[in-house]
Amino acid sequence: MRRQVPLALCFIFGLVMMLAEFSPHPVSQGIRKEIIDWSLIIWPFALVLAVASLVHTHWIRIRRRAEYWQYSYLVFIGMIVMVVIGIPFGKRHPAFVWMFENVQVPMDATMFSLLAFIIASAAYRAFRARTFEASLLLAAALIVMIGNVPVGDFIWNKLIPFGDDLPSTARQWILDNPNLSSRRGIILGISLGVISQSIRIILGIERSYLGGGD
Amino acid sequence: MLERLMNIDRRIIFILVALAVIIPTFLKVSFPITVSEPTRQIYTHIDELPPDATVLMAFNYGPSSLAELEPMAAAVLRHCFKRGLRVIGLTLFPDGATLGDEVIKDIAEETGAVNGEDYVYLGYRPGRIQVLLGMGSSIESVFESDYADKPLREIPMMNAIKNYDHIDLVLDLASSSSPAWWITYTNTRYNQQIAAGVTGVMVSELYPYLQTKQLVGLMPGLLGAAEYEKLINAPEKGTAGMSVQSFVHLLIVALVIFGNIAFFIRRRKEQ
Repeated sequence: MRRQVPLALCFIFGLVMMLAEFSPHPVSQGIRKEIIDWSLIIWPFALVLAVASLVHTHWIRIRRRAEYWQYSYLVFIGMIVMVVIGIPFGKRHPAFVWMFENVQVPMDATMFSLLAFIIASAAYRAFRARTFEASLLLAAALIVMIGNVPVGDFIWNKLIPFGDDLPSTARQWILDNPNLSSRRGIILGISLGVISQSIRIILGIERSYLGGGD
Repeated sequence: MLERLMNIDRRIIFILVALAVIIPTFLKVSFPITVSEPTRQIYTHIDELPPDATVLMAFNYGPSSLAELEPMAAAVLRHCFKRGLRVIGLTLFPDGATLGDEVIKDIAEETGAVNGEDYVYLGYRPGRIQVLLGMGSSIESVFESDYADKPLREIPMMNAIKNYDHIDLVLDLASSSSPAWWITYTNTRYNQQIAAGVTGVMVSELYPYLQTKQLVGLMPGLLGAAEYEKLINAPEKGTAGMSVQSFVHLLIVALVIFGNIAFFIRRRKEQ
């Protein structure tokens, strides 16, 4: 019963939404709108579940003294401070906005900025023209990198008397042709995979989302 | 010697990258920007909209990609407000709610746009794809009030805007796969015109949609912001950032070339 009910719900809602997508009839469109409204209501409950799961995970880490368990206290402190300010005073309260702009924004931006340093170091060590394919990839990457910044065109136009803005033109050609065709192949492959997986889920063949693995 | 160069301490590379960022920031060097066709297409589309048209801007980014996407948002908002277009702002991600609110308020103040008449900021609602689908029937069924909790029915601008039928362009400023959601669920089903401004690493993924006209235009990372600033003749953060980025790209290209020269010399010696 614990498995049959979710499987039946998945089949019914999956089928109804699929049919409603192809039927402009007011009845089917009404049902579709109703289901979308339901799913909008379900989402906030999913957020509550996510918060509960986060609290549970970090509570377990602290209890078991897992590696770096001390940082889990920081998760709780951050969460409690934002909730204590955010819920009673609202999302536009200066204190809430201040915390966001002066704590979360610099921390997130710093983490992301580190990528530039890591990429530079990794590119120097690992980006080698060892094979023909690697050489092609390397050449394309260098052209796109140089064409992606205005200094590329600037240097080319100053030094080379022909082919104005060649680096940016070459970059655009790479994006418009080899990149586009390979991306389209990837998108088609993924889409076919998604369709077949969706059919398997709706028909109850694929049940891993229920947990248990079968 | 060659071996030492190839195994150079990564901290030296980190210092070189830091210098490539810091020195141009203080020198304020700038280079002429060539506008790419996908960015120009967004500019032209917005520029040709009638004065009472509505542009929906989705601020689907968080603080980590703020540096790339906020200059884009600011440039497009300046263009829209100067042209007298109505702007609706929203986000599908909780991190984007405050960021969208700040940028739209700042540019509105700068251009004299009035909240509730020239723009409305709806903020965040959980649901992502369901939000997109729900707005197809009625925006009010998803966002019953704006970010300041004012009911939509009390906002004059929203009287005439009920769903996608009354929105002329959606511009998704994204650091994740949200442009594909807009294309799949609003372009395909509601024939909504979509444009996107995305982080540099995501640009290549969206080119197939550009060719099929499912995207009317595409702004690539900070370069897109700088290009748009050039088009509206208002150089700001995007243009300044591109100069810094130019030096970092040059450094990485130089490092890659140098690394490969050392690699080939060593390989020849080994042979």
